[in-house]
Amino acid sequence: MAETEFWITPAAAIASAFPDGLTELSPRAQVNLRGDAEDASFMTAVKTATGIDLPETPNKAATGKEFKALWLSPDEWLLVGEGEAATLVQNLEGALKGQHFAVNNLSANRTIFELSGPHCHHALMKSSEVDFHPRVFAPGDCLQTLIAKAQAIVEQVEEDRFHIYVRSSFSRYVGAWLAEALAEYRLAD
Amino acid sequence: MLNIDCPWCGKRHETEFRYGGEAHIARPEDPAKLEDTEWAEFLFMRTNTKGYFAERWLHSHGCRRWFNVFRNTVTHEIVGSYKMGEKPPKLPKSAGGTK
Repeated sequence: MAETEFWITPAAAIASAFPDGLTELSPRAQVNLRGDAEDASFMTAVKTATGIDLPETPNKAATGKEFKALWLSPDEWLLVGEGEAATLVQNLEGALKGQHFAVNNLSANRTIFELSGPHCHHALMKSSEVDFHPRVFAPGDCLQTLIAKAQAIVEQVEEDRFHIYVRSSFSRYVGAWLAEALAEYRLAD
Repeated sequence: MLNIDCPWCGKRHETEFRYGGEAHIARPEDPAKLEDTEWAEFLFMRTNTKGYFAERWLHSHGCRRWFNVFRNTVTHEIVGSYKMGEKPPKLPKSAGGTK
């Protein structure tokens, strides 16, 4: 993506020292979408523009072709993908013309950490009060909570692989925290 | 610490929420017609209940929705939570604490 090619976050300064199982992903398009989930014409228009059936069940993610949608609140979703954010915004605005909605390109708002490996659940459980045990939190689930007291969106993309979205200004702190959280398991292996 | 049941996100830890004071206080229909004392009554006067109390909470670090919680301010027992505009749940017969 041309527009994010030179983007850098505070976490980049320490990313080279991250242990196995923790990486900062390259910037992704992140577009915030708001609208009435009970309005069929809104849902159809979004489906036409993105191919995604927006999740109405709280704390679930839904995947489309180029983008996925994370449930944020009853009328709010975050569309994330590797495509162009500007094009997505344009498509959505075109498809939703005349309706009551809001689309905002928030790509620079959050950076994404990928936490993976057999101990990623444990590292998360140390960092949050939410239960991330595989028994209750499965791939396709996402939620907003505090990770080490910093607001974050946590999404499980597949078994033993999480994406953690934190505000860029918190990224160095959260990155350092997660690196520290993983350290003890590296010794155990 | 409280485990609060957000009507959308489910049970979460108290640290994710903000407290919003007493619930079910309706804003006056026409504030311009009120006397200062009546406006102050609406703005500042609260019941300060000891016992079962309907209060507002905001899931500030989650879905950012306001909702109501029916809680015992003495024992911290939470009877239930419900969305804005809904009626508070009935007290269970077994409910303890000060009524």
